[in-house]
Amino acid sequence: MSLLGDPVAWVSELTRPETWVLTGSLAFVGALFGALAVGALGPTYFLFLVGLAGMYALLSFGLNAQWGFTGLINFSVAAFFGVGAYGAALMTADASPIAGGFSPLVGLAVGLLVALVLALLIGIPTLRLRADYLAIASLGLAEVVRLVVLNERWLTNGSAGLRGIPSFFVGWPVLSSFPETMPGLQITVVPGSPVVLETPFWEAALNVVVIAAFTLGTYAVLRRVHRSPWGRVLRTIRSDEDLARALGKHTYAFKMQSFVLGSLIMALAGVFYTHLNLYVGPGDLDPITTFYVWVAVILGGSGSNRGALFGGIVVVTIREGTRFLNDLAIPVDPAPLRLLLIGVLILVVMRYRPQGILPPQRELIWPAARRSTEPATPTETGVRARGTSGSTADADGESDGDTATGVIDDEVEDATGGERNG
Amino acid sequence: MGETADPDTVLRVEDLQKSFGGLVATDHASFTVERGTITGLIGPNGAGKSTIFNLISGFYEPDGGTVAVNGTDVTGMEPHEIADHGLIRTFQTPRKLDGMTVREAMLVGPREQPGESFRALFTRPGAVTARESENLERAAQMLEAFEIDHLAAQPATDISGGQMKLVELARAMLAEPDVLLLDEPVAGVNPTLAKKLSEQIRRLNDAGTTFLLIEHDMEFVMELADPIVVLDQGHVLTEDTPEGVVNDDRVVDAYLGGGA
Repeated sequence: MSLLGDPVAWVSELTRPETWVLTGSLAFVGALFGALAVGALGPTYFLFLVGLAGMYALLSFGLNAQWGFTGLINFSVAAFFGVGAYGAALMTADASPIAGGFSPLVGLAVGLLVALVLALLIGIPTLRLRADYLAIASLGLAEVVRLVVLNERWLTNGSAGLRGIPSFFVGWPVLSSFPETMPGLQITVVPGSPVVLETPFWEAALNVVVIAAFTLGTYAVLRRVHRSPWGRVLRTIRSDEDLARALGKHTYAFKMQSFVLGSLIMALAGVFYTHLNLYVGPGDLDPITTFYVWVAVILGGSGSNRGALFGGIVVVTIREGTRFLNDLAIPVDPAPLRLLLIGVLILVVMRYRPQGILPPQRELIWPAARRSTEPATPTETGVRARGTSGSTADADGESDGDTATGVIDDEVEDATGGERNG
Repeated sequence: MGETADPDTVLRVEDLQKSFGGLVATDHASFTVERGTITGLIGPNGAGKSTIFNLISGFYEPDGGTVAVNGTDVTGMEPHEIADHGLIRTFQTPRKLDGMTVREAMLVGPREQPGESFRALFTRPGAVTARESENLERAAQMLEAFEIDHLAAQPATDISGGQMKLVELARAMLAEPDVLLLDEPVAGVNPTLAKKLSEQIRRLNDAGTTFLLIEHDMEFVMELADPIVVLDQGHVLTEDTPEGVVNDDRVVDAYLGGGA
């Protein structure tokens, strides 16, 4: 059922968590545009935040492809992000100690290539072993990469970091000079506080174009593979690797593919970050990034691409939203409060909804095959919940309007799963 | 190697050895499984039945001896390679597939799906669709044959233990094995379902699949299997018909813990 073809049917087939997330997201976007209109939120800063949200969504996609799909525990998200960022920066920056001045496309290729090599280096010895070996090795890898970047000054400029990074579209026709050629605009929505759009705004807008392309492209790929037989083998490995082996699946190869795929996506986020921030330093490889991304994936619902997208945006909202707490006269420093808030949030989610806010809602079967075998059947409704609660279904796709009841207490009443209420 | 490929032998175990520390779990065990049979593997607790299964299916590496499937030496191969030679196994405790429906769990079974190649998802989507449709069809038929088609849309973790055993057997059949190793197919299954399982195994055997099964339920195994291999303390005590086994004093001794 497509949104454009039949919007009413599309909405009526949404499961309860989907309805909640959709409603909440629309309200949030509405609030943001309201803040933009009255001038409470600067448009350039807003676009920067959109870029940041997209970057976190990408990182979450990457981790979800490893942990959510296959159950691989990767604690070096920051390292893969970092090699993507440094790979791109070292190739493109004027001040690069090794090469520099190349096209950002070269930077993109190098960032991804370094991530690929790193993923293979860590994957080859650990992926044949039990899951915990990768976890431990990746924990060490993150520190090794960070310390190498910090100390190998001839290669990375050390703690000074890398400056003089061009924007992503440098050297492209039209787009490279687009921000300068765009006229300054002044839009008055609310009298007295006009919204001014100038060169920095258009630069930020181009960044949003880049991250939108990266994110949508990645999402399209992940959505396809997640519902494929390939994704099904990964999910089997996550539940029970021995079962997959007994059924003749070469699990090591599948785990490696999943790990490399996720690592490349993380590096892609790093490449974008380089051209968003125009400066990279060893601080960007701090393990806190890994922590945030894990929170995003668990919060969104492990194994769900949309959940990862949602979780990534929520984490950025909390991270950046707490800056506005400065404006309120509260007697505590908001920076540590941010971590506290995220901690509380993850506790609440784990307590009441261990499978995450938006875990996979529907059967994952290659869509074209499903259409050809059962043309007349309406879509299967939600049947699943993962996580530790032992609960079964959390979604029943009702169309009868009782979606306004709580999202948290549905574990009991929906335990039969698969059946429509109406 | 060097053995003559006997077309009637689907599985040949020769002089298989395995110890864990000082414990000898498999002690020069040799037996064969003839094509078309339902061969039982019995023995008292700790006789090494499950170890033998793990050795045959590649989950353990033997200390010595050989395993041959369809005349090919598979000793030391990975489980997925052994599966490619036509040997599939199930597990004693049903394996749960979190977050999948029964139908999805069934679809893991078929081997060599084009859709299991990452690249093919983008370069040959047509082939992926064709095979997936075919597999959906086969899974539906298999569930129907096992009389559990009503469970297709249920969460795979939300069905009874006996139903899980049926799903596991049905899924293994989708892999089209030449020989299927069943590890205690009716352990913890109620008598009605056990009977059903027994009928299904018989039906699949008539259709050409060879079975090797470990089972503690004597009634079940005596009725179903012929011949029966008796294992005691890691070595093969005897291989005989059910009647021969129950009348064998050595077997009785082994079970009663005499055999000194």
